[in-house]
Amino acid sequence: MFLSSDDVKAIADQVLAHSRADACAVHIHGGLDQSLRFARGGATTNLASAEAILRVSSHICGRIGSCSISRFDGEALAAAVVRSEEIARMLPVDPDYVAPLGPQNYGFSNRYDEATANLRLDALANAAARVIEEGARIGVDTFGCATTARRFNAFATSAGLFAYERRSEIDLSATARNRADSWSGWAGAHQFFADRLDAERIARVACAKGAHDATPVDLEPGAYTVVLEPDAATELTFWLIRAMEARAADEGRSFFARPGGGALIGEKLFDEKLTIRVDPADPLAPEAAVGFEGLPQRARAFVENGVVTTLYRSRAWAQRTGSEAIPFARNFVMSGGDVSIDDMVRSVRRGVLVTRFWYTNVVEPKSLLLTGLTRDGNFLIENGRIVAPMRNMRFNQRLGDLFSNIKALGPTRRTWRAAGDGGAPAAPAMLVEGFNFSSKSSGI
Amino acid sequence: MALAATPSTTEASCRGRSAFALDRALLYDLADVALTAARQGGASYADLRIGETRRQYAFAKDDRLENFDERASQGFGVRVLLDGCWGFYGARRLDVHSLRDGVERALENARAVRPIQFQPIELERLPAHETEWIMPMVVDPFDAPAGEKADLLLSIIASARDHGADFCSASLSAACEERFFANSLGSRIHQTRTRVAPSFQATAVDRASGRFATRDCLAPARGAGWDYVLGAGLVEEAARAGEEARAKLDAKPVTQGDYDVVIDPTNLWLTIHETVGHSTELDRVLGWEANFAGTSFVKPNMLNELRFGSELMTIVADRAQPGALATIGFDDDGAPAEAAEFAIVEKGMFKNFQMALGQAHLIGLSHSNGCAYADSPTTFPIQRMPNISLKPNPQKCSFDDLISDVENGIYVIGAGSWSIDQQRDNFQFGGQLFYEVKNGKLGDLLRDGAYQGRTTQFWNSLAGLCDASAYHLDGTFTCGKAEPVQLAPVSHGSPPALFRNVRVLNTSDDA
Repeated sequence: MFLSSDDVKAIADQVLAHSRADACAVHIHGGLDQSLRFARGGATTNLASAEAILRVSSHICGRIGSCSISRFDGEALAAAVVRSEEIARMLPVDPDYVAPLGPQNYGFSNRYDEATANLRLDALANAAARVIEEGARIGVDTFGCATTARRFNAFATSAGLFAYERRSEIDLSATARNRADSWSGWAGAHQFFADRLDAERIARVACAKGAHDATPVDLEPGAYTVVLEPDAATELTFWLIRAMEARAADEGRSFFARPGGGALIGEKLFDEKLTIRVDPADPLAPEAAVGFEGLPQRARAFVENGVVTTLYRSRAWAQRTGSEAIPFARNFVMSGGDVSIDDMVRSVRRGVLVTRFWYTNVVEPKSLLLTGLTRDGNFLIENGRIVAPMRNMRFNQRLGDLFSNIKALGPTRRTWRAAGDGGAPAAPAMLVEGFNFSSKSSGI
Repeated sequence: MALAATPSTTEASCRGRSAFALDRALLYDLADVALTAARQGGASYADLRIGETRRQYAFAKDDRLENFDERASQGFGVRVLLDGCWGFYGARRLDVHSLRDGVERALENARAVRPIQFQPIELERLPAHETEWIMPMVVDPFDAPAGEKADLLLSIIASARDHGADFCSASLSAACEERFFANSLGSRIHQTRTRVAPSFQATAVDRASGRFATRDCLAPARGAGWDYVLGAGLVEEAARAGEEARAKLDAKPVTQGDYDVVIDPTNLWLTIHETVGHSTELDRVLGWEANFAGTSFVKPNMLNELRFGSELMTIVADRAQPGALATIGFDDDGAPAEAAEFAIVEKGMFKNFQMALGQAHLIGLSHSNGCAYADSPTTFPIQRMPNISLKPNPQKCSFDDLISDVENGIYVIGAGSWSIDQQRDNFQFGGQLFYEVKNGKLGDLLRDGAYQGRTTQFWNSLAGLCDASAYHLDGTFTCGKAEPVQLAPVSHGSPPALFRNVRVLNTSDDA
């Protein structure tokens, strides 16, 4: 259920008027999601789903109780306030109690387009049809998903904050499998503006990657030079960003913890080519202007020329440590270079081109040892040329080593995220040496 | 027909009972409105889910309760089959106007996909049921006071920190799903079930070296009430966890190699889930998940042909185990729990896929087997696992018996990091605790282990099982699948099991 700023303000005002607590905070978010899936060249499932959730948090004598509801009539709003106050009175006093935010200055994040927001399912069927037609044209089976979302996110507090932000999203991802079911390719894209989504390109890339009939070659486990396409690079960078939490570092529970105590802020931990920034005004991958806890997202670097410059920090931990609260970022931009994927491939004597990864997970958080598998477009490179499709492999790779060993970067590109979660990362292709494949997989 | 604008209940968060909250007469009336509108709109089949989900989540870290949230959300989802095309629409408002509008949008969606529906959806005719089902429960977790839950979490944390942990976080999740299902074949099914998930993580840090170790809670999520949480011994377990997290810092690193691996049910449930549960989902086999969750190494022609594992391996599906997370009277297609009682693997041979409505005929079978779930009334029901469990050894076998002939092995307890390929073949699973097994006896604690394998090779190496006295039911609230992602609760039971010649890795920084 998509609500306008005025609608949300009216609802939030009702909630705040009901409050008898010392302070009160309201978070309302929701919207309309539509998606369509297809497999073997035809539709399977689809949905349109209108959702909205209101969370009221009542602050009473240093305690916070919260209650969330999906009905916004007067009776339900009043009952939620009462219940949140009832919960608050039952809880222990919070030693790190933080009062609700007052008015904030937010930047503007250009992530909403009325035309995209008003798309219906037929637009997704049209996008899917581009993939299905391309698959039929070149003789591969096609599978995929197209999604649109029209979302809002709002905060209001008894301290005077009112923040409202909206976004529109569309994504299309496609997998192509050869008719022998022995090889697959993938491509995908996500945009806030539908006219920037190139369905034909996604169809061409996925189907071209999947159209290989040669038996995939097996590679022995070991350390290899890899060319990571932007979606693969994004997956690894995401885990790095996720680990950049100040509290874990301060407490010695993190890759970013200094032995003996403290966080490794200001240390050069990575290759100087690594720069990761977050910016609501970034034209390629804008982060939301309104961040977690209602904090403003500012333009900032988390890693600059290999040096750790920022760790994200909750309001409570910032208060305890006397530091600045910095909201976690869903979106990031990893700075790129000017080396094309073709040029990267030309520079590799023996290595692997990776389209994307699957089921990545941290194995050992201190060293940021990550495991996962290649998927949907793994190719063997020999003497500067792609010579064959290559069977998928499991990797076990320390991210610190990987991001310290970047040999070249391509231009930064927006990468795929499923529409609905607001994610819009951007990363370049990366040429990396010494990537550790640990075992073979038969999974295609 | 005069209908109330909304269900005649107050917000669910103000209640605290395990019976139905939604008004039955209103549900029947809304169903008639929606299904009549669907039929008049040309739908050859339609179904409707109306429901309410209540959730509670509390999280504490070290000395503070960071979050306590209670949520109640209502909604409906209507699914129509029009000219062989599915159309679906879900929303939160429960009134006649919203239901009628929802049917119109579902029909519009079905028409929208017609240009790419080259193979019409075909459905088997499920028998109609008019019934209700309520999960038995002793104490509704929503009846327990918030303060009692906060106190429990802080006690767990204090216990871990008093016994060696530098840090500890603890959480408690509870959910109650009430669902009303109606379809154009005449079914009217009203159900409710409740589940709880206690959790904590104790962390010990060696500041000088910069190393740290964690030990997670081993108490599983269950289809149960507050009495289960209170009886789970969480404070006592947290004390052990604190000691074990500290001990892991000084434990011997695992030496990488091939071992006989004895796997505790607290770890094996996840291996069953990933390697057997997901690989035998027919929608994956048909390619419906190829773009995200993946396909499967299991193919339709492998029914009754594939030797999945050793003779000791019998894996069964059910929706009836008391306390299990997927236990319910009817699935989200309206199929009864009895349909979901089948062997997936019997004495090592692959016997059955899991199927939802509209899938069985695609592999030449006549009927599906009760494996549908939608994680909200507002989401499209898809094929999901019932409870899937490894049967214990029918012969008497204690844990001591199981390890008695293991000369050089490793015993794995608790689930750690996990990963498996998209066809469910190559996997790597960590754990919470690793112990040496030497000459038939448990030995020293080890650290930094993970085991890696290929699914059928692994299950064919199954060489020993404990009997039913060691059976343990584990599970998760959050099995992810589909686009958009849906989260399903599911349980997996097993006894401790012995696997021969399994690759064990060392994951430590200094190995």
